[in-house]
Amino acid sequence: MSFEQRLRRLEEIVGELESEELELDRALKLFEEGVTCLRAATEDLGKVEARVQRLVERTDGTFEVTDVRE
Amino acid sequence: MTPSPQFGFSLTARADAAPGADPTSAVAVSTLTSTARDILEGAFPPIWVRGEITGFKAHRNGHWYFTLRDRMAQVRAVVWSKDTRSIPAPPDEGMMIAAYGNLSVYPAKGEMQFVVRRMEAEGDGLWAKAIERTRLKLEAEGLLAPERKRPLPRYPRRVAVVTSPDGAALRDIISVMRRRAPAVEIVVVPAAVQGDSAALELSRAVARVSRWREADVVIVARGGGSREDLWAFNDERLARAIVACPIPVVSGVGHEVDVTICDMVADVRAATPSAAAETVVRDHAELANELRVAERRMSRALIKRVDRAKADVQWLASALRSRLVRTTERRRARVSELAGRLHALSPLATLNRGYGVARSTDGRALTSATAFSPDMPFELLLRDGTVAARATDVRRSEPA
Repeated sequence: MSFEQRLRRLEEIVGELESEELELDRALKLFEEGVTCLRAATEDLGKVEARVQRLVERTDGTFEVTDVRE
Repeated sequence: MTPSPQFGFSLTARADAAPGADPTSAVAVSTLTSTARDILEGAFPPIWVRGEITGFKAHRNGHWYFTLRDRMAQVRAVVWSKDTRSIPAPPDEGMMIAAYGNLSVYPAKGEMQFVVRRMEAEGDGLWAKAIERTRLKLEAEGLLAPERKRPLPRYPRRVAVVTSPDGAALRDIISVMRRRAPAVEIVVVPAAVQGDSAALELSRAVARVSRWREADVVIVARGGGSREDLWAFNDERLARAIVACPIPVVSGVGHEVDVTICDMVADVRAATPSAAAETVVRDHAELANELRVAERRMSRALIKRVDRAKADVQWLASALRSRLVRTTERRRARVSELAGRLHALSPLATLNRGYGVARSTDGRALTSATAFSPDMPFELLLRDGTVAARATDVRRSEPA
């Protein structure tokens, strides 16, 4: 799941958890999923620096990204 | 050697007389005009000249011809086609301009002419005119309509940057993105951002990103500069490449005052390259904070839900209890009612009125004298107790 998808899922979870008519069982399951989502999203944020790359188009129309020395 | 006018003075001049000093050393017309040209060009360094445009003609061969004049004088002027490209738009008739060039002579016509290489109209007239022309064209096609603007992805993973790989713009963008969102990938798509080839290179770079399709958003960027420096960003080809790009485009060109065609067609206009980077990625510190908020909301919601469940259980328990109590009471009432009715029907009630009942020792009611025999023990049941008794004499009353 991408970071964006995770955040969106997290928003849904919070929204549903805060809604009034919710089975306790479901609430517990949602909470558990939310915690997993949170942990993964927080990890995403802490990822190491991505490299700067350069887009190169080959003569056959395919693409390649190569590292750029900063 | 016979002097020959056709060969110019260098071959025919006598050592003791200047060329053209007498009929025998007369110079050719072309010698005269080209000498005049050499002298004029040597005498005048390139210079800015102010005047009004009149008789403007853009020739098929690409050169521009016009006359530059003021109230007192006029001079023929020409812009060679290679130089017209650096002038944003052809000037209008009657426009006041400043032209930069050399004074020269057109030998074929023997005319003095001012060879213009750069031109500026008063109040940025030519730049404004060129931009306005392109803007109107794009607007007529609906390409500048606000409803065409696409929203940017909230959390892009890969950002393509169309710019010069050595420019300050790229450095600024990298530094902003490193600070705010270190995990987001930056892919540089190199293009010249000034000079003759810039417009073409920029539009090709945008087209390359379009074909690649792996970026979430594109930044087209260049640091600030003069109107001329930024000119490629007003090019219609670049505008069309941006319009055709399937992913959202952010324009970050120049400083705040310059609005380019690129700014107008982009989905989002940022004032500078740094601002473009800030627009594209959200600050991770801010996101981390949002995650904390989500966590708090989630915990609070769960606690609330559990508390409600607890309250529900308590309510149910007390409802159950009160139901039980009510049921018990109802039963008790029923029991005592039945007891009352039973009591009313009971023969024992008779005892209360002072009667007694004789019972055999094994509990049978002795209701007839025939049940007795002399000396037989029996029990007498009274309102408040029993009396052990013995029959002494049994007398039957006569049947009626």
